[in-house]
Amino acid sequence: MRDLYPGYDVLAKRHTPSWNEQTREVIDRRLTIARSDHRFFTEEEWATLCAICERIVPQRAEKQGFVPVAALVDNKLHTDDREGYRDAHLPKMQEAWRRGIAALNDEAQARCGAPFHELAGAEQDELLSAAACGELKCAGWKGMPSDAFFHRRVLSDVVSAYYSHPTAWNEIGWGGPASPRGYVRMDFNRRDAWEAAEAYPGHEEQARQENLRAGR
Amino acid sequence: MSREVVTSGKQIGEDQVGLGIIAAMAALALAAVLARKQKYRRLAQSSGTVTAARRLNRAAGTLAFSVLFDSAIEHYRGSFHNKAMYTPLVVSSLALAVSAHGVNDERSEMHRLRDAIYVAAAVIGAIGTGFHIYNVAKGPGGINWQSVFYGAPLGAPAAIALSGLLGAAAERIRDSDPHRPRVFGLPAGRLAAAIASLGLLGTTGEASLLHFRGAFHNPFMFLPVTLPPVSAALLAETALGKQHRSRWFTRWWLRLTTAMGFVGVCFHAYGVHRNMGGWRNWRQNVLNGPPLPAPPSFAGLALAGLAALTLVEDRPDA
Amino acid sequence: MRDGEARENRRPSDDPMRRPRAIHGRAPDVFRLGAWVPMRQFGEDEEVDFAIVGTGAGGGTLACKLAEAGFSVVAFDAGPYWRPLEDFASDETAQSKLYWTDERIVDGENPLQLGSNNSGKSVGGSTVHFAMVSLRFRPEWFKSRTLLGYGADWPLDWREMWTYYEEVEQALKIAGPITYPWGPKRPRYPYRAHELNAAAKVLARGAEALGISWTETPLATISAPRGASPPCVYRGFCTLGCSTNAKQSVLITWLPRALHAGAEIRDLAMVGQIETNGADRVTGVHYHRDCEWHFQRAKNVVVAGYAIETPRLLLMSATSRFPDGLANSSGLVGKNLMVQGNQAVWGIMDDEIRSYKGPPSLAITEHWNYEDKGKDFHGGYAYMSQGPLPVLWARTLAGSRGLWGEALLNEMQRYNHSVGLKVVSEYMPQERNRVTLTDEKDQYGLPIPRVTYSWCDNDKRMNRHALAFMRRALEAAGAREIWDQEDDTCHLNGTARMGFDPRTSVVDGDCRSWDIPNLWICDGSVFPTVGGVNPSLTIQAIACRTADRIKALAARGDLEVRSKDRQLV
Ligand SMILES: Cc1cc2nc3c(=O)[nH]c(=O)nc-3n(C[C@H](O)[C@H](O)[C@H](O)COP(=O)(O)OP(=O)(O)OC[C@H]3O[C@@H](n4cnc5c(N)ncnc54)[C@H](O)[C@@H]3O)c2cc1C
Ligand code: SF4
Repeated sequence: MRDLYPGYDVLAKRHTPSWNEQTREVIDRRLTIARSDHRFFTEEEWATLCAICERIVPQRAEKQGFVPVAALVDNKLHTDDREGYRDAHLPKMQEAWRRGIAALNDEAQARCGAPFHELAGAEQDELLSAAACGELKCAGWKGMPSDAFFHRRVLSDVVSAYYSHPTAWNEIGWGGPASPRGYVRMDFNRRDAWEAAEAYPGHEEQARQENLRAGR
Repeated sequence: MSREVVTSGKQIGEDQVGLGIIAAMAALALAAVLARKQKYRRLAQSSGTVTAARRLNRAAGTLAFSVLFDSAIEHYRGSFHNKAMYTPLVVSSLALAVSAHGVNDERSEMHRLRDAIYVAAAVIGAIGTGFHIYNVAKGPGGINWQSVFYGAPLGAPAAIALSGLLGAAAERIRDSDPHRPRVFGLPAGRLAAAIASLGLLGTTGEASLLHFRGAFHNPFMFLPVTLPPVSAALLAETALGKQHRSRWFTRWWLRLTTAMGFVGVCFHAYGVHRNMGGWRNWRQNVLNGPPLPAPPSFAGLALAGLAALTLVEDRPDA
Repeated sequence: MRDGEARENRRPSDDPMRRPRAIHGRAPDVFRLGAWVPMRQFGEDEEVDFAIVGTGAGGGTLACKLAEAGFSVVAFDAGPYWRPLEDFASDETAQSKLYWTDERIVDGENPLQLGSNNSGKSVGGSTVHFAMVSLRFRPEWFKSRTLLGYGADWPLDWREMWTYYEEVEQALKIAGPITYPWGPKRPRYPYRAHELNAAAKVLARGAEALGISWTETPLATISAPRGASPPCVYRGFCTLGCSTNAKQSVLITWLPRALHAGAEIRDLAMVGQIETNGADRVTGVHYHRDCEWHFQRAKNVVVAGYAIETPRLLLMSATSRFPDGLANSSGLVGKNLMVQGNQAVWGIMDDEIRSYKGPPSLAITEHWNYEDKGKDFHGGYAYMSQGPLPVLWARTLAGSRGLWGEALLNEMQRYNHSVGLKVVSEYMPQERNRVTLTDEKDQYGLPIPRVTYSWCDNDKRMNRHALAFMRRALEAAGAREIWDQEDDTCHLNGTARMGFDPRTSVVDGDCRSWDIPNLWICDGSVFPTVGGVNPSLTIQAIACRTADRIKALAARGDLEVRSKDRQLV
């Protein structure tokens, strides 16, 4: 991943007309969730969840900001914030996660003799890929298809959590919240001064300068 | 595919907008200072042709004022992605400045620099119109409602051309025989009336288009598409019709149109306020709301019509 | 200062998801901060003319039209009564509060994705977060069995529908093109089309290159001020609720009119059962509000809960006289559920597209709705430009393209260069696609529904055709690295189809159930076929027509009994 939008920070627009009070409120609440917050998962499950998140949306140490993905997923489960439908093969969201995490650990023990979070990255990826293909079938799954769990729960919940965070928005150069002020320039290659400027090779500094102005 | 590094490159910020406004104000102030140097007298006291010429300068200046701010806003919206987009700002600033100078100049002879700038404005306005037509036509599907609604407006560069044309006429009137003013070999008054009439029709066309785009959601939006065509017709009659001593109806109607042009700015300011976020969200709404500087172009042309009336009424042969 | 006021930042002090707002003789004024409009209220013992279940495209429109016709109306909605200016954040996650997120089980060969993708739980129904695309049916679709050889005929005439479409387009001030390239002449849209964003211009380029027509999508969001609604600001959050009030949803169009005409709206009121009497008439509804069950008496009940909740309620209201559920002598309640295909092709452009700006679908082509040659399938489709926001886009890349890890993050960084075309296509009615009840219970203690869906061969052929064609269009527009999103569907219709015959349909052309003359169904459920366009304009047009029919029937004294039944008596 590159620093494609250097200097861009959606949060710098917090007090511009791009944000309204209700948006500040929900984003502020999200930002209070700290990296290690968890109320739903047990310590053991939590370690596994953190490891899973690190594989699904890897975050390098040197990158700007950190998205507390695992804590966001935990928060969703704690509040039992469901999406309104459930694959007939899956139990309810909370139960699916508990069962899936336990089963992944069982599989890790069986295959490599260690819990999931202690495996090397490549081994973890291998297990997750096997889950994605529906190949994992140990007793711990209790009949829950591992592919359904991986696609409908793991991918969906982890990825949604990651991209609900302003740090992730900065990485992809999204304009972020936009009300009451929306956008004016909608044509190809046009952007408003309050949007992120992409750093084209050789123009990084220029983009940075532009991005520092996005919040003005 | 070659990519212009526009969006992710330079973007005009609020500070630059401020600078632009200050520059425009400076142009106005300079014009005023220049004008001060001349001895000030009421328009009516100078000789008839000079009065008319000064009125035409005033009309040209009003149009230039409208174009200056309109093109500044529109091209700011277009992020000045093409360097040529600065041209109308420079040209209309110059036209505005020399017009201010002309309004206060009572000499009955052409001013070479003023004239050169006016002629340049006329030519550049014509070229700009061509650019805008090209821009409208190159969108997907060529010329269609989408592109005329949201593509480059044709009226703005045309208004520069008109400003230049009226100014050039003003300069020539100063030079010509006060009893039989001629411009380009034609009777000056009738010619000015014809230019103003056509200009009013064109501007009405543009207002109709934009107000149609706005679905005439406010009944007042019908004003600029009903008053000016009548002015245009009255001026056409002035240009082509028989000689009268007095055209009081035309005069009053033109005054009404002038007033409408200035009051229109207030309507448009209200329009900006009605958009989401109102004036607090000015960086969006001044661009996406109704154009603030557009209505005065009606005033500019109606003023030109009034100048033409002065000529025609005073001199049967003009 | 009606509109000026509406812009300050202000947060309401109440929680509309916990406590009803439409109480004490007033309802929220959706246009002004903290303000209220007066609302007439009816006692539970008062036998109102109409109890309407659901206030979305069908129910909300009908409530307005019936109240304006002088009937007494109470409209129930399980969802909250939002104040868009104050309650809607610019945030994908937080705004999931607009969706129907009560549990539903999905199965079949192609299980549906519901939730955000399909239905709303709000006063105003799914139109609070719909994408505003407002299209008319192709006239032949009303007689698709006879004229086109598939599906079923509607007991409605297209010419009559044309006048109701016009009524709805006027009521919503649809912003559309000056001339519409397909179908019979239609009157000019009340507002002008919006400016196209880059994503829409990609669609236009592709269509031009392939030599087919395209146009600006007629949208229910205004391009110039209207009353207290400011024009669209192109913020692109449309499917998460419009905090601008530019979107002409049922919540801000029909419902204020309904209140003005004397209708009552009960928010956070979940109807769990329709009561019937020994004479096989409905007598009112049982509903859950403020932690208790209540009963409202009514002369007529209209079910308008959308294609899952409508059959669910009818099935849940089974009695010993109607053991298979109400209005179900045909056995068709819950069957013939039809979603629409929502496959997409996506690609990358060198240009910056930034499709998050503006309403998502600014340009459209209905070419394959009106062109019948060169198809190996029945039905048609339209496709539109798209503008997914980050969470949705990431889920699409993960869910449909299987990306995760570094690959996902890298692809996400090309968000501003991504562009796509998405279809809305006509799936066939099949009885095996259906809504049934499970043993699992929801928070009200009501059985949760099971939604079963499988594509038929025709659906699959259409998917293939659409994907292949859109791929050519996207390629022609200059995109590269194109990939197909094969799994998406949208919109819910069918499950209580209208028809000519009580044996093969649930309601007649007036949306009146064949079995129980004072039970009506007026929402997307009544569609016998779906067509290749988004459904809500048609749902609203049907609601307007139903209101006119009810007026006419009432004037003739035929509201209590069907005239043919009366002859029998
Ligand atoms: C993301 C998205 C985008 C869309 N985009 C478009 C588009 O661009 N164009 C288009 O035409 N259509 C679109 N649609 C579809 C459109 O919104 C629906 O087809 C339409 O709103 C359906 O109308 P309805 O009256 O049948 O149901 P709804 O509008 O969903 O209304 C049903 C209401 O009934 C309530 N309800 C249900 N059961 C009960 C009960 N038992 N008791 C009390 N209340 C109950 C619900 O809370 C809901 O508010 C979109 C839908 C979604 C989800
Ligand atoms: S893009 Fe327009 S319609 Fe959509 S949410 Fe924004 S203002 Fe509302």
